[in-house]
Amino acid sequence: MSALWVAPAHAALGGGEASVRADANELGGAISVTLLQQYDILKIATAGGMRVREFLSRTGVVFAVSWSGPVVPDLQRLLGAHYASYAQALAALQRPGLQRSLRIGLPDLIVEVGGHLRAYLGRAYLPALIPAGTSASDLR
Amino acid sequence: MTTHRRLKFSAAIALTAGMLAACVGGNNQSGGGGTPPPTLNDLAVSVDSGPAAAPGQVNHAYVTIKVCATGSQTQCATIDHVLLDTDSTGLRLVRSVLTAAGVTLGGATDAQGQAIEECVTFGSGQVWGPVASADVTLAGEVAAALPVQIMDDSGAGAPPPPTCGAGGTLINGVSGMGANGLLGVGVFAQDCGAGCVNAAAPLPVYFGCTAAGACSAENMALATQVTNPVAMFATDNNGVIVDLPNLINANGDASVQGQLLFGIGTQSDNMPPATGLNVLGTDAQGNFTATYNGGTGVLPAVIDSGTDSYAFNDPAIATCSSGPFVGYYCPAVAPLNRFAVNMGVGANSATSTVNFAIADPNSFVAKAVAFADLAGGGGSSTFTWGMPFFYGRMVYVGIEQRAAGAYTGPYFAY
Repeated sequence: MSALWVAPAHAALGGGEASVRADANELGGAISVTLLQQYDILKIATAGGMRVREFLSRTGVVFAVSWSGPVVPDLQRLLGAHYASYAQALAALQRPGLQRSLRIGLPDLIVEVGGHLRAYLGRAYLPALIPAGTSASDLR
Repeated sequence: MTTHRRLKFSAAIALTAGMLAACVGGNNQSGGGGTPPPTLNDLAVSVDSGPAAAPGQVNHAYVTIKVCATGSQTQCATIDHVLLDTDSTGLRLVRSVLTAAGVTLGGATDAQGQAIEECVTFGSGQVWGPVASADVTLAGEVAAALPVQIMDDSGAGAPPPPTCGAGGTLINGVSGMGANGLLGVGVFAQDCGAGCVNAAAPLPVYFGCTAAGACSAENMALATQVTNPVAMFATDNNGVIVDLPNLINANGDASVQGQLLFGIGTQSDNMPPATGLNVLGTDAQGNFTATYNGGTGVLPAVIDSGTDSYAFNDPAIATCSSGPFVGYYCPAVAPLNRFAVNMGVGANSATSTVNFAIADPNSFVAKAVAFADLAGGGGSSTFTWGMPFFYGRMVYVGIEQRAAGAYTGPYFAY
């Protein structure tokens, strides 16, 4: 059984560093860390080509996640408590149907999804928690 | 109805018209001279408001297909409003539509005798359901024993695993898809490809499901993956051409008729022009690259008839906050002119600058179904040339490892 779809025990987005470790464990990937002035990037990479990056603020909160890979990672797990509002926003789309590239912009949550089987890309962030001096375009 | 054609490919169109004339009444036996008649490779494409159960669609290109249970002459149905999708692979049909048509397709099973089911993510949701075998006829072309997916809107098969469609994000049904099915004729022969064949940890795409409905991800050989029907045709199997006319009204047309041609350079009606074709090779993931409006970001890009708009992210353009297109771009001054530079990957490395305009969709005529200048607020990591790109162009989609003259797929061209 794939480890990718075990029910989430921790929330990543909005969670702490421990939740990133838990995500890496679930994905079966290794973590490498890039330390920046305003935040740390915890990079999870798996042998299967999945790449997840979690952006950890100086106050220890994951304020952004991004992903790329042959499939979409378990967004319930990556978005944590924010998954419900994301799913709700999808359900409320005025023009439902197949939308391959999508930006869900809520006051407290931005989710961007795109790509197709073999190559998905996306990211989610909490705009209110982006550290001062950091641009959303840096969060990839 | 939009009936005028562009003049650019007038020679090819004249030939097409000749073939069509020869094929009236389904009889194309006029070849003569002992030469077998060419296979009818021209499938009508209609941009309209969608299936009766899900009206109100815009920029949705539909085809009608014939599907039979494999080997059967009687378990057959003609299914209309199947969405034409150049950025996915394989045929996916809504189960309730098949059931209403009285067709039961034989489900595929794995080595353990378990039902094979599949979860595929599109941006806006996921589809789930079993893999089955079908004989599929598109115009005069046949894909026999084609692995297809049944999108299980009736829950007759195993329930999806927790990550597939979590929180109500399944789009399995006619209203979820805005269509009775999806005809994926993209650049690949199989949908998942090598990544699903022998992964140490199987990707959560194909699943083996017990009779009790417990599903585990498993690897899937290429031959049993959901497959591009074009790749299985006896002839005209190296790709497709989507041929839609220019629109007449900037504020929307009430209907558009075009065609889907099978094969590239295999018949008189699908010959690419000798010069001027922009051939954009894709990488192993099916993307070429695009840079938007002189920016520095090099984005993975596709030409996608399954997306209703130019989909990309430009925070400088306002999005519509009211009207029928909330979330799409509503430029303060319309039309807003933009451009992007496409670049092919690998041997087919054309560079092509494409200018496009973004209209205010609140100026669109109510009940129109086709809009040339519709742009949406897509994600910032990709660039998608959706349906507006197709109007007034011949768009070529070359299948991986299949040659068409000097060009070998995977590629998009125009």
